[in-house]
Amino acid sequence: MSTFLRYFLLILAAASFVYPFVWMLSASLSSESELGNLTLWPVGFTWANYVTVFSKIPLGRAFVNSVLVAVITTGLVLISGAMTGYALARLQFRGRNLIFYLIIFTMTLPFQITLIPNYITMVKLGWVDTYFALIVPFMLNSLSILLFRQAFMSLPQALIDAARLDGCGELRIIFQILFPNILPTVLTITILTFMGLWNEALWPLIVIRDEPTMTMPQLVTLFSVGGRADGQLTVKITAAVMLAIPIIILYLFFQRHFIRSMASSGLKD
Amino acid sequence: MSRVQLDHIAKAYGNGPRVIRDVNLDIQDKEFVVLVGPSGCGKSTLLRMIAGLEAITDGTLLIGDRRVNDVPPNERDIAMVFQNYALYPHMTVYENMAFGLKLRNMPKTEIKDRVTAAARLLEIENLLDRKPKDMSGGQRQRVAIGRAIVRNPQVFLFDEPLSNLDAKLRGQMRIELQKLHRDLQATMIYVTHDQIEAMTLGNRIVVLRNGDVQQFDTPITLYNQPVNRFVAGFIGTPPMNFLPGRLSGTGPLQFQSDQGAVTLDLSQSVHAPALASFRGHAVTLGIRAEHMSPVPVPGRSMPELTVQADAVEHTGNEALTYFHLDDQRFVARLPADLPLTFGQSFRLFWELDKCHFFDAETELAIR
Ligand SMILES: Nc1ncnc2c1ncn2[C@@H]1O[C@H](COP(=O)(O)OP(=O)(O)O)[C@@H](O)[C@H]1O
Ligand SMILES: [Mg+2]
Repeated sequence: MSTFLRYFLLILAAASFVYPFVWMLSASLSSESELGNLTLWPVGFTWANYVTVFSKIPLGRAFVNSVLVAVITTGLVLISGAMTGYALARLQFRGRNLIFYLIIFTMTLPFQITLIPNYITMVKLGWVDTYFALIVPFMLNSLSILLFRQAFMSLPQALIDAARLDGCGELRIIFQILFPNILPTVLTITILTFMGLWNEALWPLIVIRDEPTMTMPQLVTLFSVGGRADGQLTVKITAAVMLAIPIIILYLFFQRHFIRSMASSGLKD
Repeated sequence: MSRVQLDHIAKAYGNGPRVIRDVNLDIQDKEFVVLVGPSGCGKSTLLRMIAGLEAITDGTLLIGDRRVNDVPPNERDIAMVFQNYALYPHMTVYENMAFGLKLRNMPKTEIKDRVTAAARLLEIENLLDRKPKDMSGGQRQRVAIGRAIVRNPQVFLFDEPLSNLDAKLRGQMRIELQKLHRDLQATMIYVTHDQIEAMTLGNRIVVLRNGDVQQFDTPITLYNQPVNRFVAGFIGTPPMNFLPGRLSGTGPLQFQSDQGAVTLDLSQSVHAPALASFRGHAVTLGIRAEHMSPVPVPGRSMPELTVQADAVEHTGNEALTYFHLDDQRFVARLPADLPLTFGQSFRLFWELDKCHFFDAETELAIR
């Protein structure tokens, strides 16, 4: 009985998450005029919405931009986070704890507070409408530093000693010796960072006005809110589907790790 | 060639106190030297300074006549084996052993030759494709030793390499390490807290206490002529028995224990000349469990005591018999066939010339 109840609740919860998504997918494949009749399956099945989206906005270009920005930035976050985390976990230097607490402190600052100063910085550097504006402000991130630090602290000192005796410098120790032994952490940081970047719409709206440099979320938002969808709901929805599909495909590949990432970002020590 | 010299070596971590104070050691080429001492006395710190893993606060370190204070670990021509093996978990045994050689840009064929040779020597040829997690502790330690051997270093450093193994395997590996030392003809510096390991492996032993060298000598000298009470108590199993007392000021030279359980006439003993200048002073007597016996040895000066057994431990080949003198716990190593049981009184003969005397104030041996 309790098993039955548990499954019933789980199915109810799953349905409430899956239903809007299925509805969205179906709507993107339905014709605008019959949208009112939509329950679960497409009504008046058509690819027309996709054709419209692709012809009205440079979605392909935006997709490439998004991939480029997300991949490069995630790579930089992994490199900078690992190096900083390693220094905080394993090197002895004056002010180490102070720096660590400062980094933790930045996590408590809401995005909105740094938005304006960051924007002014971008303007002063002349980075508005460039990829730099999309990449540089995100390439160091305190959560990844924190996660790397914890992971590096959990490894035995002798592993590092052995590597030094073998002739490794600090960079080789981090990336060739320690990295392979904290892969779950690396994957967690990769997934969290990539998703965060992929879904980021607000910051690009502020620093990018030049259409060829726009990322997907920005373009889709502008497209839906601005007038270019001609008020057609199905077309707006189709753009949203295009935005969600890459993450869904990634999810299918890394399902297990996604769930673990979400669970472990609760920052257990 | 691979002589290792420590000249006034000292170490402090950060602004902390000196955990190694003023260590002077001259370790000869091809010598097997063991650093031994209780946990926290600075053995690992000293070894890690020789390895280059810790900065040297003060003093000079020479390896093969070259000053290496500021030479990075991989250029010191040393190799080190760690207590918890420290193998790279993501690499196979072969890769673990080859890694350091690859970083030195050694040709692939030579790497292969060296790894194969070391694997044959250690009988781990069948493990080369395994990952560390798929091996037992003993196998991992062999691989760790193999990783050291392939580098063909002047000096091998070991930090408690056998501590994680069970007793049987430890005994076996001790013998293999001795053999390895003969085969490789290299200088070896070996850290342990286990004095049996120290006694069986070392050509010479360094006894450390709180960052100070107490004595640096052969095992047999440490056993027979400990320089102070600490070394006397640390070397040997069971540990030496101690009895605080005082030498007579006048009259015949006598040792009297503090609470009067023991009075020894020392005037005819070998110790008499050395003890003469300590008349009237507080001294501590030391005697090892194996230097007491139930029957006197003819022709030796052996005072007799009657004691009561608190406990008897039979190990098959001997009986460790515990008793009290004054309030000090004593243990004697007696023949197994002696029909002794708890509470029984029995006679014990002491080999007076094998006793040790220590100045109660400085704890130094009186000789
Ligand atoms: N990294 C370190 N930082 C500060 N103190 C240390 C460090 N490593 C060891 N010590 C201290 O140095 C002393 C000697 O330690 P160690 O060399 O590890 O002793 P042993 O190997 O003989 O057990 C101890 O008091 C220990 O607390
Ligand atoms: Mg140690």
